[in-house]
Order: sequence, then structure tokens, then C-alpha cells
Amino acid sequence: MVYDGIILSLLIGFFRGGSLKGLANMKLRGGWLFPILLGIEIFIFILQNKIEVVARFSNGLFLAIYVIGLVFLWLNRHQPGFIVIFAGVLLNFVVMSLNGGRMPVSLEAAQFLGHEYIEALKAGVYGKHEAITASTWLPFLGDIIPLSPPYPRQQVISIGDVIMNVGAFIFIQHLMVDGHHDQSSHQPVHEGR
Amino acid sequence: MFFSRCLKVKNYEKLYTSIISLSGIFVFWLESNFRTQSLEDWVLVYMLSGSITLLNFFLINLPPKDNSFSMDSAVYLATLFLYGTHLALIVLLLCSIVELFSKHKMSLWRHLFNFSMYCFMILGAYYSFSLFDGQIGDINIRNLFPYMISLVVYFSINVTLMFLFFLFSGQIFRGAFDMGVLLESTVSYFVTLLLSLVLAILLNEQRYFGLFLFTVLVTLLSFVFRKFLKLYQHASEQANKDHLTGLYNHGFFKETLKEKFSDARVLHQPLCLALIDLDDFKKYNDCNGHLRGDELLKFFGDLLQTETKEKNYVVARYGGEEFAVLMPSTTKEQAFLFLNQLRKKVNDTYFPGVEYIPYRCLSFSCGIAEYEKGIYDSGELIHRADQAMYYAKAQGKNNVQIYDEKNISLSAIEFKEDLDAMEQQLKIFLSKDVYTYRHSKRVFTYALEFSEMLDLNEHEKQTLILGALIHDIGKLEVPRDILNKKEKLEPHEWEIVKKHVTWGKEILASDRRFDDLLPLVELHHERYDGKGYPYGLKGEEIPKLARILCVIDSFDAMTTERPYQRTKTFEEAVVELRKCAGTQFDPVYAETFAEMIETKYLSHLKSKCLIDV
Repeated sequence: MVYDGIILSLLIGFFRGGSLKGLANMKLRGGWLFPILLGIEIFIFILQNKIEVVARFSNGLFLAIYVIGLVFLWLNRHQPGFIVIFAGVLLNFVVMSLNGGRMPVSLEAAQFLGHEYIEALKAGVYGKHEAITASTWLPFLGDIIPLSPPYPRQQVISIGDVIMNVGAFIFIQHLMVDGHHDQSSHQPVHEGR
Repeated sequence: MFFSRCLKVKNYEKLYTSIISLSGIFVFWLESNFRTQSLEDWVLVYMLSGSITLLNFFLINLPPKDNSFSMDSAVYLATLFLYGTHLALIVLLLCSIVELFSKHKMSLWRHLFNFSMYCFMILGAYYSFSLFDGQIGDINIRNLFPYMISLVVYFSINVTLMFLFFLFSGQIFRGAFDMGVLLESTVSYFVTLLLSLVLAILLNEQRYFGLFLFTVLVTLLSFVFRKFLKLYQHASEQANKDHLTGLYNHGFFKETLKEKFSDARVLHQPLCLALIDLDDFKKYNDCNGHLRGDELLKFFGDLLQTETKEKNYVVARYGGEEFAVLMPSTTKEQAFLFLNQLRKKVNDTYFPGVEYIPYRCLSFSCGIAEYEKGIYDSGELIHRADQAMYYAKAQGKNNVQIYDEKNISLSAIEFKEDLDAMEQQLKIFLSKDVYTYRHSKRVFTYALEFSEMLDLNEHEKQTLILGALIHDIGKLEVPRDILNKKEKLEPHEWEIVKKHVTWGKEILASDRRFDDLLPLVELHHERYDGKGYPYGLKGEEIPKLARILCVIDSFDAMTTERPYQRTKTFEEAVVELRKCAGTQFDPVYAETFAEMIETKYLSHLKSKCLIDV
């Protein structure tokens, strides 16, 4: 879903006469956090079904990743769209932390994703998700929105995901279209010798 | 006084918004229910909220002004028709939260007020819908009546609440709400109803995809309309702007002045007009060529624009090297301060070629006029500013002058010249209508005597006397047959006689010298109670001198032979004057004039009578 949003943003950005040059001018604070977070997440995904210790702490680790991500977003809140991304991530974070670190998924909405997926959900260890039950807190913030035809991919997402994508959309549009116009201000100052 | 009224208005507004907001929240709390929704409903709620947020962002703009209408109401109504109030209220809540964050510059009260208003609108529509047997859940095309009713209720609540808001915030005087606007919006309301039915059918048929289609369609429409509006604005801007300087042009300025003038009159706010004329521009042109002259104009225009950027002033190129600045809610003292600082700044600004003009620096002369009660139209304001500007020129240029009647009174010789000029014009009446000739002469004499008794300054005195002599000049255009008719005038003939005030103004307007007399000539038949002609102005709206002239003119008309009226004696006329004080005449001047007649003429007559006896 995240990639879909970005690709769509790029396409609309080109359509509006923007260019990728603006992306080069992206200035984010604490940008180095990103690859580290991604590394940890992949690490957990691969190892949680193999190593006992990782599985036990995986929920906590997911939440920790979220907290760091939120801090990163907050640091960059002056960038257009980041506060929206922040809101989206926060909604996901709230529902996950209330439900023991896992994202609740609606089984009805996930029907078409396949039998194996449902089984894995019920068993409780599919990535960072779990099925919604009567005891789930704030189920309406969970993964309940089914994406289905005519949308080209099939997936279940949460409202937080949607808001996150809107934020990313705004940010990319800003970089591609607005950043394109005030290019002159980014030109290097000629240094005298 | 005005300030305290302002305060009061503010309080009413606050009280009103808080009452509406609190009751709206209370009703929301009563009517909403968050527990009955299934997860699928929640998905729908998200989609609807997203759609409304998008539609609120992509408004459909309508020229000429920043009018726009949003399609959110269509979505709310469709939601209501299909899913009932619970869902609609949750959608409203989510959209309001998004609005709260996205428009955080708007005050919290406004947000709450909007939220509550929509609450009332949705609930009102719902209950009227079910009252008329509307069935929630499906679109029943056999009975469209409930849909109509709920739409009418929905928008009536909207219009009423907004109307009250404008009423309490005091904006109603500006004409923020007039019937024309309401009629125009009826069409858009109807469009909303149709769209809500379309959306409801789409939603019913293909839930998410239907909503998606609707939203995309409206968003694209919004893009198209936006382009259209931009094009329109571009075209109208070009029509309103001066090509060389980029300031507004003469025509647009006059139109704006008219608007602001009536605003100032109704709202009792100060309004200042400044006319700026570049000094020795002709010499600059002669020495440097017209191209450089154009550059200077452009340069000065840019300077004016940057200096007035942060203020609500309207700046225009009034003529060749003349510029005009309109300053709403500014007193003449503030205006003077601003323009004098601007003058200093201009003096200190170098522009190539200024070495050749006498001052050796850029400079301008400026005249300022402030709106006062007696000024009856925007033309007079311009005239005053113009006079002040000429006075500034006469004071040696490079200075700013506020209009002051003392400064523009004529010298004795000039006054004599003007009088002679008027006499010449009046002499035509000797052959055409000797009655009017003698009448004008007598009114002139009365005015001469009366002006000494009144608290008038020199300029006002001169204006009154000259105006008294020339006030009926428009009768030149009235056919002799009518002027000399013995019987009562037919209605259409009377209409012609009435026009003499306008014709008189037109005759005099051909000579700039007599601009001050125009109000007297045009308005000396206005009545204090507003039943006069040509405009039906009332009380203090009529300029002071015109009110005085009206008394004198009527007194003479009463007391002299006239083709279509019986003559009154002086005593009878004085009684009549007093009787009509406050209705036809200004009470103060009628009484003063009656006293003057009593002391100067009646006692005179009495003693004469005594001697005769």
C-alpha cells in the first residue's frame, strides 16, 4: 500500500509538470534513522518464527520502532504533509499498543486474501497482525478497509495507513511541484578564492 | 459612541455563537451513537469522510467573486437517505475534526459553530424526511416529496442560522444578505438535491466504486471551474488595470470609490481620498523624452504599490501623471501622516533625469479630502481632493494639503468675476422668462443678507450667494409655454419643470470653476423629510447650503406673483415657513430666516404702513 501511494504521487506529480529534481533537495532531520528501522523490522520478520527470543519480544520491538518513527516524523513536522503522516502513524500506533503490539485485522475484510492468510492470522503469528475479536480495543482503527477490484491489488488496510499515504502524497507533491519552481534559491553560492 | 456600539455587536455575536455551539453539541450527544456500527459501516464512514474532505478542499468556484459551493451537502444528504442519522453524524464528526486541524487558523468558536449548524441541518432534514413517510435505506422514486421537504428544511436551517450570525455580527448592513443572493443560491441548492439523489443511487448500487466515481467527477469539475475562474480573473484584471503602471485604472477606481463611499455613509466610517500629482512632469518629459517619462510613471506606480501593500488602500492611476489613493477607515490626519512620509521618501529617492527639473528631485503635490456628512456623492469628494491638490500646487508644490474651505475661498476680484459670469448667463432669462430673472435676483439679495446672519465661512458664503443667483439656470431648457402657463400644470409638464435642477447642473458642470455650486443647483428642491426631488435625500444628507437655499427659494416663490399659484403676504409666508419647518425645511434655517424676515422686512413694512396712515 505504501508503494502504491508513492507511485501514484509520483505519477500525479509528473502530470502536474513537476520533476524529480525537487526530490534531491529533500532535507530531513534524522534521516539516518530510516535504514536502521527498516533493518530491524526485516530482521524481526525473518527471525520471529525461528528464534524463540525474537518472537517473544517482537511485539515490543514493533512498538519501539513505531515510537522512533513517530519521533522522526515529529522532528520533521515543518515539512508539508509530515504532520498528516504523523497522525496516520499515531492512529496505527494507538490501536496496536492497545492490542498488545499487533495490528488487528478484520476477518470479513480479509476473506478474499486467501485461506492460508486467514489461518495464519487465526494462529496468531502472521507478521505483525492478528484477527479482530470481541475483546479487541478500537477495532475501527484496525485493518478493516478492503482494497478490491477495480483497484489492481488486493489488500486490507487501516485508516491510519490511508492518512499516512495522504501525507506522503502531499509531501511528494510539494517536493516535485513546489520545489521545482524555487530552484534558483538552491543554487550553490559562488565562492571566491 | 460608535465604539461602544461595536462592542455591543461583538457581544451579541459571541453570545449567539456560544448558544448555537453548545446546543449543537448537546443535540449531537443526544442523537449520536457510536456502538451500533459494524466494521463495514466504519469503512463506509471513512470513505464518506474522505470524500467530503476532498470535496471541501476542491470547491467549485463561481465567478465573478469568490463565490463557491461545496458538494459536501450532497454527500450528507445521500448518507442520510441511505443510512440514517447515526452514520451521518459520525461522518460529520470526523470531517469536523479534519477541518479543525487543517484550518487551524480559524477560531475554535467558528469550528464549533459550523459543526453545530451541520448537526441541526442534518437532524432537521432527517426528522422532516421521516415525518413525510420517507423510508431510510432505499431511494423510492415513486415518492420524491420527502426528499424535497428534507432539502428545503436542510437549507432553511442553514440560511436562518447564517442570517442570524450576520445580523448579530453586524455585517448585515453591508448587504451580505440580499434577496438576489438567495435566489441565486436556490439554483445551487437544487443542484445539490439532484446530486444527492445521484450519489444515493450510485452508493446503493456500487457502494465504494460509486462514491469513488462521484468524488472523482466532482474533483475534476472543480479543476475545470478553477481554470475558468482564473481565466475570468485574468481578463477582468486586465480590464481594470492601467497597462503602464499596473495600478487600477480610472474607470475601476471610480467604481470602487462609489462602493466605498456608500459603505462609509451607511457604516459611518471615515473615508479619505488623496489625489497625487507629480510635480513638473511635463518638464521632465520635455528634457528626457516620453519614454523616460513612461519609466518614471512606472517607477512611481511601483513605489506607490509597495508602500501601500500592507494597507487596505486602493491605488489607481487617475490620469496622465495623476494618481489616486482611496483610504477606507482612515481619518484625514492619518492620511496626511502617511502621504507626507511618502512624499519625504519620494524626495529621497533618486531617479535618472531628475537633475533637469526645478526641484532636482522627485516630488509630488497631494490633496486629501475626507468624507463628511454633507457630501452627497463621490464626485464631490473627488472635487474636494482636487481642489486641495490645486491649493498644494499653488503653495509651491512638493507638499500635502488637507481640503479646507478657508483655503479655497475666492478673492474679492475673483468673486466679482464669477458673479459677472453668472449675470451674463442669467440675462438670457430677460427675454425668455422675466419672472425667473427677477426671482433669481431677489433670491440672490436674500442670500446676501441671510449669509451674514449665519455662521458660515467665507467660501461657504460665496458659494451660497453665487448658487442663489444661478440656481434656476436649468429653466432655460423648460419650454416658454410651460414657464408662462396660466393654468395648473399637467403632470407631464410638471415632470419637465422638475428636471430643471438636473439640466441646471449639466449647464454649470461645463465650467470647472463652478463645481462648488453644483450641489446647490441640483439639490435646492430636496425636502428635509425626504419627499423632494431629484433624489429624495433626507435631513442631513442634503448639503447644508442646499438646505439654506431651499428655504430662501421657497420663501420668494411664496411671496411673488407666479403663474400657477396665489400670492402670499410676507406674514403668511413666515407662518408657512414655520409650519413647514421640519417637514419641507430644515427647522434651524427656516426659523433663522423667518426671524430675519420679521426683523428686516416686516417691521420695516409696519412702520411704512404707520407713516402712510
